[in-house]
This record gives sequence, C-alpha cells and structure tokens, in this order.
Amino acid sequence: MTVTLERPVVEQTVAGSVKKRRNHHFWVYAGLIIAGLLTVLPFVWMLLGSIKPDGEILNDPGGWLPHSPTLDNYRQWFVALHIGTFFRNSAIVAVVTVLGNLIFCSMVGYAMAKLDFPGKRPLFALVMVTLMVPGVVTFVPLFVVVAKMHLVNTYAGLILPFLTSPIGVFLMRQFIRSIPDSLIEAARIDGAGEFRIFARIVLPLSGPPLATLGILTFLASWNNFLWPLVVAQNQDRYTLPVALSLYSTGEQATNYGLLLAGSVMVIAPIVAVFIALQRWFVQGVATTGLK
Amino acid sequence: MSRIRNGLVIALAGALCVTACGRSTSDDKPAAGGAIGTGAATGTITMWAQGAEAERLPTLLKDFEAANPGVKVNVTPIPWDAAHNKYQTAIAGGTTPDIGQLGTTWMGEFGAAGALAPVPTDLDTGAFYPGSVKSTQLHGGTYAIPWYVDTPVLYYRTDLATKAGFAKPPATWADFKALAKAMQTKAGAKYGVSLGAKDFQGFLPFAWSNGASLTSDDGKTWTIDDPAMVQAVRFYQSFFTEGIADRAPSNDPGAHEAAFVNGTVPMFIGGPFEAGELAKAGGAGFAAKYATAVLPKSKTATSFVGGSNLVVFKKSANLAAAWKLIRFLADPKTQVAWYKTTGDLPSAQAAWTDPALSGDPKLAVFGEQLRSVNAPPATAEWTQVQSAGDSQMEKVNVSGEDPAAAMKSLQATAASIGTGA
Repeated sequence: MTVTLERPVVEQTVAGSVKKRRNHHFWVYAGLIIAGLLTVLPFVWMLLGSIKPDGEILNDPGGWLPHSPTLDNYRQWFVALHIGTFFRNSAIVAVVTVLGNLIFCSMVGYAMAKLDFPGKRPLFALVMVTLMVPGVVTFVPLFVVVAKMHLVNTYAGLILPFLTSPIGVFLMRQFIRSIPDSLIEAARIDGAGEFRIFARIVLPLSGPPLATLGILTFLASWNNFLWPLVVAQNQDRYTLPVALSLYSTGEQATNYGLLLAGSVMVIAPIVAVFIALQRWFVQGVATTGLK
Repeated sequence: MSRIRNGLVIALAGALCVTACGRSTSDDKPAAGGAIGTGAATGTITMWAQGAEAERLPTLLKDFEAANPGVKVNVTPIPWDAAHNKYQTAIAGGTTPDIGQLGTTWMGEFGAAGALAPVPTDLDTGAFYPGSVKSTQLHGGTYAIPWYVDTPVLYYRTDLATKAGFAKPPATWADFKALAKAMQTKAGAKYGVSLGAKDFQGFLPFAWSNGASLTSDDGKTWTIDDPAMVQAVRFYQSFFTEGIADRAPSNDPGAHEAAFVNGTVPMFIGGPFEAGELAKAGGAGFAAKYATAVLPKSKTATSFVGGSNLVVFKKSANLAAAWKLIRFLADPKTQVAWYKTTGDLPSAQAAWTDPALSGDPKLAVFGEQLRSVNAPPATAEWTQVQSAGDSQMEKVNVSGEDPAAAMKSLQATAASIGTGA
C-alpha cells in the first residue's frame, strides 16, 4: 500500500523536475545560440565580403549577399602578391616561438616549483615583476638591443625576444606545484635525474597548461604586427599581418576586398588550431584560470 | 587586435617622443650638404617607400640602373598606416635605410630628431611647387626633395548642380554656400556639402583663403586669433549651424564617397585619390556626373598642400648615390612616368605640361590649385597645436561655441606650446 501510494508521488516529482530542467535548458540554449550567432556574424560578413568586388563593399557596407561574387581578391593574393612567402614566415616564427615557450617555460616553471636553490624566491619575484611591465615600455629598447646584435631582418630577430615569457613561466609553475612531491621523490629514489623527471613525469602530466600556453603563444605570435613590422627590413621577411597592412591600406584609401580576403586567410589557421585543441584549451582554462 | 595595436602605436609614439624630441643644438644650424656632381652613381642603395605602389618602383628604376651600371637599388615597401612607427623605431635603433619617403607633415618631427641629411648644394629645389618646397625647409636648411604632391580641391555633382541652378562651379564663398543650400532645397540632397566638424587641418584652406596665417611672417609667434581667422571660422561654422553640413558625419572610410555617389551629400573637398575611389564606388559611367573645381575664393583660393618628400638619412653609407637617385626620381620625365603608373601628382612644375596631365580637365584643376597652396609649419610643435585645434573645431561646429572665444583659447594653448622657431 505504501508502495502504491508512494510511486505516483515519486514519478510526479521526477516528471516535474525533468520538465523544469527542460524549460531551463531551452532558455540556456536560446541564449547560447543568440550569443553564438552574434559572435559568428562578423566572420560571416568578412567571408562574404571577401568575395565581393571593392565597389560593392563601399556602396553597401551593411549588405550581406554578394551581387556579383568573384574570387579576384584571392587570386590577387596568390598570383600577384606571393602570399606563400608571408605565410611561410608567419608559420616559421609562430611554430618556433610556440616550441620555445613550451620547452623553456615548463623548464623554468619546474625549477621554480619543485627544486630548491638559493635565490629561488627573489628570482620568481623578478619574473612576476616583468609580468607587470607593459610590452610597449620595453619595445624600443628591445629593438635597439636586437639592432646592436645585428639581428635586424633575420628570423632570429623575429623569434628570440618571444622565445620565453613570464606569463608562461607563471602558468607552468602554478600547475607543476600541484603535482604531488611524492611522485617526484619516488622517481628520484629510483635513480632518475632531474631532466628525466622533468621529461618523463612532469611534462606528460602537464598537458592542459601546455596546451593553453601553446594556443596563447601561437595566437600572440600569429597576430603580432608591430614587432615584425620594425624588425623585417624587406618583404622576404614580412609576416602575414604586415603584408595585409601593406597591400590593403593606402595613404588615404583602403582596398576592402583585398583586406577581407587576406583576413580570411590569416584567420583560417587560427580557427583550425583552435578547433583541433579546443578540448585541451577548455581543460586548461578550467585548471589554470587563464585564457 | 586592432584596438590593442592602436594602443601600442600611441604608447610607442609617446615613448619615442621622449627620445626623439630632445633636439641637439648642433643640428639646429643650417648645413649645406656639399655637391654630388654629375658622375654615375655606384654601390647599393636601400630605399623605403610606402604602400603597395612601392612595388612598382623597381620597374621605374630600371632606367636609373641602366644609366648607372654600378648601382643596385633595393626597394622595401612598407605599410602606410604603420610607416611612421617604422621610421621612428629605425631612427632609435640606427637601422635607417639610405632613402626614406616622409609625409610632408612628418618633416618637422624627423628633422627635430636630427636624422636627416641636408640636400646637396647642386640639387635645385626651384623646379618644384613652392608650397611643397616649404615643407622641406627646417631650421633654415633644406632636408628633402618633394616627390609627389597632394592637394584637396572641390568635388561636386554637375548633374545635381544643374538642377540646383548652377551651370558653373562656385567661384566665391557666397556662391559656394548658395550652391550648397540649393543642393538641399532644389536637388534633393540631405546635406549640401561634407565638411569635417572636428578637423582643424581640413579647415585651414578656408583660413588661408581669407588671408589668415597661422604664424607671423618670421614664424616665431602664433597668430591664430587674428580677425581674418575668426571670420573664416565663423563662415565654416555657419554650414553646421544652418544645417548645410552634417554635425556628426560618419568617419567610416568610404562613407562620404558613397554619399556623393547616391546624391545625399553632393559636394566634398578631397585629394586626387578620390577619383579612383569614386570610380570604385560609382562604377565606370560615374565620371560624367561630377567635376572638380578650384576651391571657392574669399581673398584668395588657397588649398592645403601635402604629399611626400624624399629624404636621405644621415647614417647612410652611400649619400652621393642616394641623392643621385632622388635627382632621377624628381626629374619631370620620371615623374610623368610615375604618374602614369600610380596616379601620384608630380611635384615638379614642368611635369604638368605633359599631355598626360594637362589633357585631363579633372586633373588640370589640381595643377591650377597647386599654384595657390599653403602648408602649416613643419615643426613638431604644430602636431600639438593641431590636435588642440581639432578639439576647438569640435566645440565650435558641434556645440556652437563662439569662434572668437575658441580661437582665443587655441591661441593661448599654442602660445604655451611655442612655435619651435
């Protein structure tokens, strides 16, 4: 009797909460879809604009569908403006910078988190202080140093200053601190050297922060404009953002079709990287709180 | 990204000013550059030039390299919107090229940084438009050769002007305003003319045309509050108070061209590049619907002269060859050829007699306008006065402040900045 009495009550509450949850979900999804659309719309406009002739963009900036679609903008980039060179430069700089950051930041982070050596605290404090100094302040002195080292117009000049970063060191140190000491001590008892501990135990466990650091560094390097602009002294060393600015903006007029087509091609690899590493990125944000 | 970039650029400019604005006294004295002679140029010359047009320079330079067998010219195109930063950083880092292309308004700043070499004595600047030559003279010396010029003239829709009852372009200020009004009342335009509401430099042609001058003749004191200037500001302001010009025009690139093409704002004042923009926005047949004209006259019809100068940097290891290349680029024949490839207007007066330029009526107007042009002082101080001027123009045109009070206040600001002379 009690059983028969209780059952409907239970079902009712379950059904009620499911209904409530479904209702709740509807609003969440509606909100997410609207926010998603708002985020995507400018990119759609850019994509559609890149296949419009220039005059069409000027006459009707708010228009969506192209009246006379053309691939001329892309053709110009590939045929007349050798975009391949700029793409290669950007890729070389970005890949080396990312690798450098992954290796060096995690090494320094490991030392700061798990090793004991004199001056560790002041050293870490120093890293934190450089984190507070905005890049613009060091920009010109950095350029003068690079120029004095005769690295102007070389890949080394484009890459070296960004090979490691205080934010990366901080990120890696915070994460590595959470790895249990006992794990590292066990390895040490088994006779592993510091480098082996770092490479075999710390690195494999640091997937999420490494992915975050990788994406952050890739984005920063890929989008960097001012540094490549001043360091590259001829077109053979220009990166994509510099080339984009060179060919699409004039003294007074802008070639919008070319600009949009170029932007599409600059953004495509970023989107690809992001989609490929999305899972890691979300995990990284969750564990480190940085993005 | 672009906001971050702009922030960087501004901060960088500020940081650089600290290093670049300190002027060493030894560079203040006019210096003659010696002579370069007529021998062939040799060695390697690096040249920075702005914009995608620079890509077409090597073709032009083939003639130079053919005439000077021992020479090799490397041209690096640099983006227009970041060129200023690039030159500043290069000066700070000592990595300047042999030849650079500087906008006429940048001359004061880079001259003050002491980075430019004086023009050799046997390079004659008399062949160029005097308005352009003025921008090359700093602290009594000449530090650049004008390469191409740029001057705003009046663009107006001939079809709509006919509807408004004007068969000819407006000759005087009164005509100009009457036409702008008639464009609204008779030709269905929303606004008669597009004018910059917060743009002191854009207003300057009106001041000069009214006989006003920014500085005294010796360039030592500012004369911004003189009656002719105030009168010009009052005339300019009346377009906004009477609703003939939009108080808050769209600053979007291409906006005033689009408004010109669709007839909502059928007049504007613009440079030679606008012809290309209008062809893009209006299509092939649109050229028949508009014309250019010399600016309307008050006492004179004086416009602003801009453009680019060619400079040689002091650190250049190949000074003589660099100046020889500049002599080649400034030659009227070369300038006509450059005009044909890029549309840049020649700075050499003789180039304008070539049929390629004199045969096109829309273009001939620029040649005529160039006979009466002026430029603000080429000093670092001017940049500061100009930005103070922009905010005064905004007060006058947007908030309706009294022109006399605004110019008095601007004069006080300018006086505290000084003229640098």
